[in-house]
Amino acid sequence: MLTLIRIELYKIFKKWRTYIGFIAIGLLVPLIHIAMLVEGERTLNFMTQNIQQSFVFVGNLLNGYLVSHITLASLAVHIPFLITLVAGDLLAGEATSGTYRLLVTRPVTRTQIIISKFLAGIIYTNLLVLWLAVVSLGLGIILFGVGELIVISSETIIIFKQTDVLWRFTLGYGFASLGMSVVASLAFLFSSLVENAIGPIISTMAVIIVFLVISALNIEFFAGIKPYLFTNYIMSWRLFFDDPIDAAEVIKATGVLIGHIAVFFTSALIIFNRKDILT
Amino acid sequence: MNMKKIILLMIFFAASLYPQNKEPDKILKDVINKFNKVKDYEVDLIIKVDVEFLKVPESSAKIFFKQPDKISLKSDGFAMLPRNGFDFSPNSLLKGDYTALYEKEEKIDGRVLTLIKVIPLGTSSDVILSTLWIDEGKKVIRKVESTTKMSGTFTIDLEYDDKLNFALPSQMIFSFNVDKMNFPSAMIGETDTRKKRSKMHGDTLTKGKVYVSYSDYKVNKGISDSVFEEENP
Amino acid sequence: MTSEKIIEVKDLSKQFKEIKAVDNLNLNVYRGDVFGFLGPNGAGKSTTIRMLLSLIRPNQGTIKIFGKSLTEHRIDILKNIGAIVEKPDFYRNLSAFKNLEILGRISGKEISKKRIMEMLEIVGLEKRAQSKVKTYSHGMKQRLGIAQALLHDPELIILDEPTTGLDPQGMKEIRDLILKLSKDENKTIFLSSHILYEVELVANRMIIINKGMTKVEGYVQDLLKSNLLKVIFEVDDVNLSLEIIKETTWRSKLESSAEGKLIFNLDNEEVHLLNKILVENNIKVNAVIPTRSLEDYFLKITDEAA
Repeated sequence: MLTLIRIELYKIFKKWRTYIGFIAIGLLVPLIHIAMLVEGERTLNFMTQNIQQSFVFVGNLLNGYLVSHITLASLAVHIPFLITLVAGDLLAGEATSGTYRLLVTRPVTRTQIIISKFLAGIIYTNLLVLWLAVVSLGLGIILFGVGELIVISSETIIIFKQTDVLWRFTLGYGFASLGMSVVASLAFLFSSLVENAIGPIISTMAVIIVFLVISALNIEFFAGIKPYLFTNYIMSWRLFFDDPIDAAEVIKATGVLIGHIAVFFTSALIIFNRKDILT
Repeated sequence: MNMKKIILLMIFFAASLYPQNKEPDKILKDVINKFNKVKDYEVDLIIKVDVEFLKVPESSAKIFFKQPDKISLKSDGFAMLPRNGFDFSPNSLLKGDYTALYEKEEKIDGRVLTLIKVIPLGTSSDVILSTLWIDEGKKVIRKVESTTKMSGTFTIDLEYDDKLNFALPSQMIFSFNVDKMNFPSAMIGETDTRKKRSKMHGDTLTKGKVYVSYSDYKVNKGISDSVFEEENP
Repeated sequence: MTSEKIIEVKDLSKQFKEIKAVDNLNLNVYRGDVFGFLGPNGAGKSTTIRMLLSLIRPNQGTIKIFGKSLTEHRIDILKNIGAIVEKPDFYRNLSAFKNLEILGRISGKEISKKRIMEMLEIVGLEKRAQSKVKTYSHGMKQRLGIAQALLHDPELIILDEPTTGLDPQGMKEIRDLILKLSKDENKTIFLSSHILYEVELVANRMIIINKGMTKVEGYVQDLLKSNLLKVIFEVDDVNLSLEIIKETTWRSKLESSAEGKLIFNLDNEEVHLLNKILVENNIKVNAVIPTRSLEDYFLKITDEAA
């Protein structure tokens, strides 16, 4: 199985499209950082204008942690797209290139093939999010230094001590990875159904966008289905930037996301095992 | 403005019913003179913020003060102080022209304190009315209650260390009521449906307290003007 | 002849929506056979091969390979099969060597780099081993397909149109390779081809299918006896030739004669004998041209079905 996974990872990283994600993040994130270098003070003042009326404060609030936090929040739609580029191609790509019949006629079970491809896709996803973390935090800390992290929601302002931030980012990025793994799993499922990677990419993005729109609409009709939309839980990495952390909510979100991954993966497994390879 | 005039009238009226048997201006002068023995000071602070919508870690900072009105807050990390409690010197509290009225004596925590009402004159001050509780024996202000135009009403409770001969507090409790603030979430792109609506109970006034401990005062050791040259918020 | 059945297909059927691609097909392949699998386009050959390789599930019927059920022993069976299915496709952005290395690693056997290069040498691609497959011509991909089929030294080799896109020299090399694998290494070869002449030259047993059904199955020799070779002898003296064979059994095998030509119905051995007799009797034989009798046979069989 390890051999199969290594082979799949090799195939993934030999395709140019794999690097689109890493390059895109490598360009987008510094762009956000530069924007914050230019506009950051003003942005921070805007964010804190109300408390500034009543309080005097000192400290480096415009720091790498704040910029990283903003970066993570603003890439909610872009990262899924970069994930689908690769995950959507994992199975459909074999059909397009005609290599299914090379692979499936080897003495390995279809289950092993699916698991290895799936795990390779998840590894790619995690590497991409790790790259985001490294570039975002690394560049942020280099350009802006460290300091307390201010997190503003519609209900509260929380300022986390400098020493209380890094572990939150670790768990937050870890959770973002889990969320992106759901996206990868969905793209993977779509990939098992078709013979061209474009279909899974577009379908996955369509599902995400539709779900996000439904979540955002304040229409009673949708109130019943909102809690079941996985897109709600993808942004749950924010839970780690709360004080105290709502453990029950974290567990629930984790369960929902893992549940989705399990369902998408199992469906793909069943489909692939039954599939007649005609390409 | 109208409100000030009304209050003024009401106080004069009240005052006319009770003959003034103390001179508020003299009492305040004594307090100012005692404070002015401090030419400059440096002090370490530990700040605890207890406000419902604000979660801030305990922070440590330093305040530098130089007569008459140079003051600077510094910290290695992050620190925040209520604007109205930052400079607690009598000079700051009694800035500009004002009218002082003796109201009464009141016993608080075993001490007899003199209540003086201070009404700033003119329109530049944010404060409409202040009440000062003065310890005439020690010539220090123990409590301030101020009503402002922009920031509601706040109270400052001051404790003093008997060992310190200067009018510099060892503890300050700053209490305030503010309107619930609306925070811009545009930068955050919040999309989660979790609601902490339970925190909002219908009324929008939020109570808050800030506890400040002062220690290790360095008084009249000389402080260079350059210390105050950084931009003070 | 060996009696060990390598492939045993019974009542195999596959339906795609309304089309019955394979309809109660039966066939047997024995160890050491070079088995010709023939049929016109759309006969169900490709579907059958895909079922043998577990790419497609049959709706009905059983497949046994090496005496074991394909559904129950798929992994063990596939370890000993090498196959080309239709046109060979590879990972285009990887080199030929890398493609074989990857396939070797999941072939169930230890495949060394040396072995990979040997296979590439056998198919004449050793000089292009490090080139990306996307730079390969169709013929080169075909050769690489054969290399990957042989890489893990399988007992059974399934070849679907192995000489498509090859030049005559290449075709001959593949034919020679097939014969070598069969005779010297006792491999069993399942060969699907449209090039009937080629099947005739290498196969010892064959099946013709049409519309998913078996039309005829047996030894090539036996099947062709009932339809002898039609051979044209181009001679300088037709009359003298006719004189020579007049009182012999050769006369009964003569179908017709024309200017400079004699047309006989003969089997393979008889062609050489007759040629020898004519030459010994000073007849100048300019050419001996066999017609494609298997093609006739094939067309006859498949026409009958139509």
